[in-house]
Amino acid sequence: MKNTYKISLILFLTLLVGACSKDDLTLAPQTALGEPNAFDTKERIVGQVNGLYASVKNGGFLGGRYYVYNDIREENFIPKSTNLVTNYATWNHTVIGSTNEVQNLWGFVYASVNAINLFLTGLDANYASGKLATVGVSDAEYNQYKGEALALRGICYFSLLQLYAQPYNKDNGASPGLPLRLLAEKTAANNDLARSSVAETYAQILSDLNAAEPLLATNNGSALLNVTRLHKNSVAAYKTRVYLHMSNWASVKSEAAKIVSATAPFTAPSGVAFRLNTTFAGIWATPYTSTESVFSMPFTSTNLPGTQNGLAHYHHPSSSESYFLNKEPGTAYAMLVAADARKVLFQTGTVSGNTEYFVGKWQNYTVQADYAPVIRYAEVLLNYAEAIAKSDGLTQQAVDLLNAVRTRSFPAGTYTLASFADVSAFLTAVMNERSMEFLGEGIRNMDILRTYQTIPGKQSIPAVPTTSKSYIWPIPDSEISTNKLMTVN
Amino acid sequence: MKRILMLFSLLLFTGSLVIAQTVQISGTVTSSEDGLPVPGVSVIVKGTTIGALTGVDGKYILAVPQNSQALVFSFIGFRTFEAPIQGKNSIDVTLETDLFKVDEVVVVAYGTQQKRDITGAISTVSGKDISLMPVQSFDQALQGKAAGVNITMPNGVLNNPPVIRVRGFNSISSSSSPLIVVDGVPIFTGNLSGTNSFLNSLSDINPADIESMEILKDASATAIYGSRAASGVILITTKRGAAGNTKVTYDGYAGWTQPYNLFDVMNADQYIEHKNLARANNPASGLGFDFFVPTDANGNRIDTKWSDYVYQTGFQQNHAISISGATKNTSYYLSVGYTDQEGMVQKNSYNRKNARLNIDQKVNKYISISANISYSNGYSKAPNTGASFATAGAARLAFVLAPNLGPYALDGSGKYNINGSAIGNMGQPVANYGYYNPVAIFDLNKFTTENDRLLATLSATIEPFKGLTFKTVYGLDNVSIEDNLFQTGVTGDSYASNGLAWNQFNRPNRWTWTNTLNYNVTLSEKFNLGALAGIEEQFTSGKSWIGQKTNVNDVFFTEYHGSWTTAGMGTGGFYENYFLSYFGRLNFNFDRKYYFEVTGRRDGFSGLSEGNKFGNFGGASVMWNISKESFAESLNSIVSDLRLKASYGRVGNMSGINSYASLFLYNSGVYGAVPSWNFNQAGNPELQWEASSKFDLGLSFALLKDRIQADINWYYNNVDDLILNVPQSPSKGIPNNTVPANMGTMYNTGFEFTVTSYNITGPKLNWTTSLNLSTLKNEVTELAPGVTEIIGTTGGLEQTNRTLVGLPIGNIWAVETRGVDPATGRRIFVNAAGQEILYSHEAANKWTNRSDGSTASAITLAKDGKASGSPLPTLFGGIDNNLTYGNFDASLNLTYSMGFYVYNGSKAGLRDQRWWNNSVEVYENAWKTAGQVTNIPKPVMNDNVSNGSAFAISENVEKGNFLKVRSFSAGYSFRNFPEITGIERIRVYGQLFNAFVFTKYTGSDPEVSTNGDTNLTPGIDRNSAPQAITYTLGINVTF
Repeated sequence: MKNTYKISLILFLTLLVGACSKDDLTLAPQTALGEPNAFDTKERIVGQVNGLYASVKNGGFLGGRYYVYNDIREENFIPKSTNLVTNYATWNHTVIGSTNEVQNLWGFVYASVNAINLFLTGLDANYASGKLATVGVSDAEYNQYKGEALALRGICYFSLLQLYAQPYNKDNGASPGLPLRLLAEKTAANNDLARSSVAETYAQILSDLNAAEPLLATNNGSALLNVTRLHKNSVAAYKTRVYLHMSNWASVKSEAAKIVSATAPFTAPSGVAFRLNTTFAGIWATPYTSTESVFSMPFTSTNLPGTQNGLAHYHHPSSSESYFLNKEPGTAYAMLVAADARKVLFQTGTVSGNTEYFVGKWQNYTVQADYAPVIRYAEVLLNYAEAIAKSDGLTQQAVDLLNAVRTRSFPAGTYTLASFADVSAFLTAVMNERSMEFLGEGIRNMDILRTYQTIPGKQSIPAVPTTSKSYIWPIPDSEISTNKLMTVN
Repeated sequence: MKRILMLFSLLLFTGSLVIAQTVQISGTVTSSEDGLPVPGVSVIVKGTTIGALTGVDGKYILAVPQNSQALVFSFIGFRTFEAPIQGKNSIDVTLETDLFKVDEVVVVAYGTQQKRDITGAISTVSGKDISLMPVQSFDQALQGKAAGVNITMPNGVLNNPPVIRVRGFNSISSSSSPLIVVDGVPIFTGNLSGTNSFLNSLSDINPADIESMEILKDASATAIYGSRAASGVILITTKRGAAGNTKVTYDGYAGWTQPYNLFDVMNADQYIEHKNLARANNPASGLGFDFFVPTDANGNRIDTKWSDYVYQTGFQQNHAISISGATKNTSYYLSVGYTDQEGMVQKNSYNRKNARLNIDQKVNKYISISANISYSNGYSKAPNTGASFATAGAARLAFVLAPNLGPYALDGSGKYNINGSAIGNMGQPVANYGYYNPVAIFDLNKFTTENDRLLATLSATIEPFKGLTFKTVYGLDNVSIEDNLFQTGVTGDSYASNGLAWNQFNRPNRWTWTNTLNYNVTLSEKFNLGALAGIEEQFTSGKSWIGQKTNVNDVFFTEYHGSWTTAGMGTGGFYENYFLSYFGRLNFNFDRKYYFEVTGRRDGFSGLSEGNKFGNFGGASVMWNISKESFAESLNSIVSDLRLKASYGRVGNMSGINSYASLFLYNSGVYGAVPSWNFNQAGNPELQWEASSKFDLGLSFALLKDRIQADINWYYNNVDDLILNVPQSPSKGIPNNTVPANMGTMYNTGFEFTVTSYNITGPKLNWTTSLNLSTLKNEVTELAPGVTEIIGTTGGLEQTNRTLVGLPIGNIWAVETRGVDPATGRRIFVNAAGQEILYSHEAANKWTNRSDGSTASAITLAKDGKASGSPLPTLFGGIDNNLTYGNFDASLNLTYSMGFYVYNGSKAGLRDQRWWNNSVEVYENAWKTAGQVTNIPKPVMNDNVSNGSAFAISENVEKGNFLKVRSFSAGYSFRNFPEITGIERIRVYGQLFNAFVFTKYTGSDPEVSTNGDTNLTPGIDRNSAPQAITYTLGINVTF
């Protein structure tokens, strides 16, 4: 009896021990999605497309800092703070390969590039297997998603090229450009990849944008979607910028002609009807989706650019780390007349007891949810004007395009053909207009570099000649140390 | 433990008393240590089983057969004593303490063993050695207590988890911290706080409840913990009731804590003199006019000693009450504790309330059950003490801020001196200081963490027949943590968003169910065999909720629950993981002379991919007790014990494998207002456990009747399957630019010596010295293919360390400097080619060759940096002296660390020539005239390069050797209270904790870790809060 008791007890215990389950060894995450399920529904695929936009919208890239990097290299801005975290080293041209912004921007942009490459690979594989059709993605939608991804890759490479490589016009693109990552990377393989030349990088950018354009929708269906997602016309608009940087005037003109009517008021004849917003201030007001905003990065109070990233952080007088306007002769501040709507929009603040002026395009400092503009229609018009002047000389159309942008904010400033002694005077006027119009939008440094001019000095910071090491950013140390085929700038 | 065994021996002998033709012998047994009676001593007639036990008064009465020769007195913890009878009727005996404690029971993995049978490397620290230390958690008190265990307090902020390293650094990418097992159940470790306040997970265990701590070091001792054993295991055993009368104790102390070795910085007059000189040396500084000393509305000059606004003398109090006892079938231990401590940083406090019930119940002859239930409530509060580069970091604000700025506005209104987020400039030429006003943010911001924790084990033991026991243990570690962060919109970090409230509720929960079958048998007289087999399951989940609000509607609101304009997105976390493990142990010995033990474990973990889920681990050890050999017996009077041990095993480290490490994952976010999916984890399906092979050789001996006891161990631990987050080219765009993979090797090797010497063991005077000394050599022998180095970054900004093949992990990396050029006053940098380069901040050509003044290329850390010293101590340990004389007692604990370097980054800040305040040595010694020999260069306004702010320089890398008086205490015990009071003893004492440090290091304290528990960036002192000295007065009452 006693033994029976003992044996049954041990049996019971054995059962107890055997009761543990092996199923728990395959616990799946509940807050992240496994790769095999990424293309399971149409909503998820659209979510991935939005994810690509969200990736370029990173506060360290097109969501904020990218524009700041370009702006503060040139002469228009003076920092309130010497904090290196808010790009002081970019302002005084002392960045090195280990400087935060140099490493961060490179990383953010390439993270977007890889996200795009992963998406393109997955999208094509699921298209080929017929899965996309099964989940209700039409061929047109497939094309659109693919087009958006390709166009974003072009924008990524173009943006990166402006800081990390010599301008195309230095030597027709013979200088070292970027390592062109076109494969989806998710393993430890392929660390080493050599730089393509600047010309080859531009070729890739154009190849992506040209491939994207016919795939994209003519209209995304709402003002918000037309501003925050790419379509045929927005890619054409971006191409005017790319060709302008290559001094390919014919192509700037042919791209611009697609989206700019022959005569004022200028508007896109087909597709999304771009046109200048009536008022300058209106561009920067909610809902930020005027017909002038070709492509912008959207924010909401729950989707912000992040600490020390938002454009308001860099331009608002209340920010202790913002940049106020340099008032020295030749700066945008000095050129703008008081009545100009662009000057009227300036904010004022007190710095060291002096009244200083700040760009007023992003006034919501407390909640930094003002949209960040990637490209505006005003730029397309000025790109067009410049290309016409460069290839055809001084024409009325070129003057009209310049006036369209200028007189909106400064009606008394209308130019006529007689205002310009020669083409060069006209081109100077266009340059100056761009400096005034795009203050804070990261255009001016690109303009200086693409025309291969000295970066003007400011305060105690000397000018940076084209021969200087500081003319462009260095390649990040982290890339040099891991990519054995990489070369320094 | 002694008392539990007493209980067992009571049970054993009660039934075996035999009555025969006899004479009565009686007497009293006392202890040589304190002269007090010893209860429970077994008194046996030699050569028989006739015997008795002494009562609580130490008295015995025994009926002895008439022709008996002698009585044998034995008791655990005392040397067995043989007293000849010689016709006496009364035999009083004084037992000598058994210094070696061969019968002492040591807690081992999944059980206990007698000390003499231990074949592995295990250090034991008694709970009473640490219970009175004014600490928040027991691990803070373990410094210097055990050989091979190095413990570093990162700084003096309350409840900051110390960095624990058992036998060196055992990982690169994963944690090198040991597994902590409390009463058989692995618990959560690390900092549980989500805010600036610290909440060490181990602080939930009241140090007063701890009976003993066993630190398992070699593979023989740890391998049964398999995949979690690589960094050692610390077993915590809590107290249980002991036979005898109910025992009540009260321990309490009150104390005061203060920072020590604060920096000596310039006052306002020195500051303006020095900074104006620097300004004059740099016409392009951008500062329009000289610095000056402002005066307030009452005409007082502003001369602020900022450290006075950051630090304080904190008051601490601690109370612990325990009630314990045992009856025949039940033993119990019940305790409550309360501690309330203020830190040396203002607004830093820690408060804990806790209760514990440990109960054991014998149900019948076969079955017994026990339960350990502990509940604690901890509350931590701290300002942002943030080390490294936070502009809100209190420790940094204490010395960086200019003394000619004040905390309050000059107009006498009592308003804070602020300018937006930053401190106001009071008319100085610096437009924006950028740094915060510490008084304002201390007053207005709040960072708190509160946790509730239930730590419980329920177990049942069934012994169907003698030798075989089945034990089932269910353990629960349920933690609930609420983090509250409030940052004012008035100034500081959340000025831009007009205030921020961020709350998190976090629930790390775990259950562990262990079933073991244990069989112990003596097969023949001398052949002892033990076998253990078990299955263990462990399920862990972590779920957290976060709420965030910005833009407060009124400054009145200081809580998340108040009224805010903007509600942010509530994120949070969710993870689950599961272990399924099988393990076993087999040990046997022949005549307690030759020992052999083998252990094994098979671990399955949910975080690994199919096919890689399981890993096998194991170890084996042998021991030879030489002193038991006949040839050694003649030496017994000199060498009373001599053993040789060896062990080898293979163990794992899973801490680097997160719950879903093998998967490729997308996480969801938003793009504006629409949902998005983003690729965010490049997992590795090939990933496996980190594994290491550990080899250990040990020699233990005791001399002069155990008066001197020593352990010598040599170990070699080869970590050969490291999980490395292999750096990827950033241009590949892989999230975090790393992919985890099993690559790379590293080893740790060293000697450990432990010597305990019972210098004097008299009835009145006792003096014991324990000394331990450990050496460590760590070397990385292989990194991943194509990876030559891993860069370690401090505060996300400063590259301070590099890990390279052929050097110890986390080498300090800096550009070599050779002082200051006496001719020009410029810092001499040395470039990669060995050339001396001078730096002139204000010049157009900043970098020039010292030899000929020609322009040189700029010095960079990437190009010119080199290994500048290992931050790993190569020699460390502790020395404890304990002295009792009658009712007086005193103890002195010293710890020391040698052979390592510290990067004194704070010094770079203290010499920085921006507007930052500098140390007085800069004022006194900065280069001023040609030919002046000094180590501080010519002051040039805004020069952030010459003194090491822009990149680390060897000028700021210093030797860290130190000797520290960890604690010194002295006490007096009152005894012989009238019985009616019930008081057995009252001890009063005073104690100094963290009393003094002897070092040539010029920072605050070389025991520092700005980066906390880190492998890749140890030895960094960058704007860390200093350490604190604590004075306490305490009382212990035993009823």
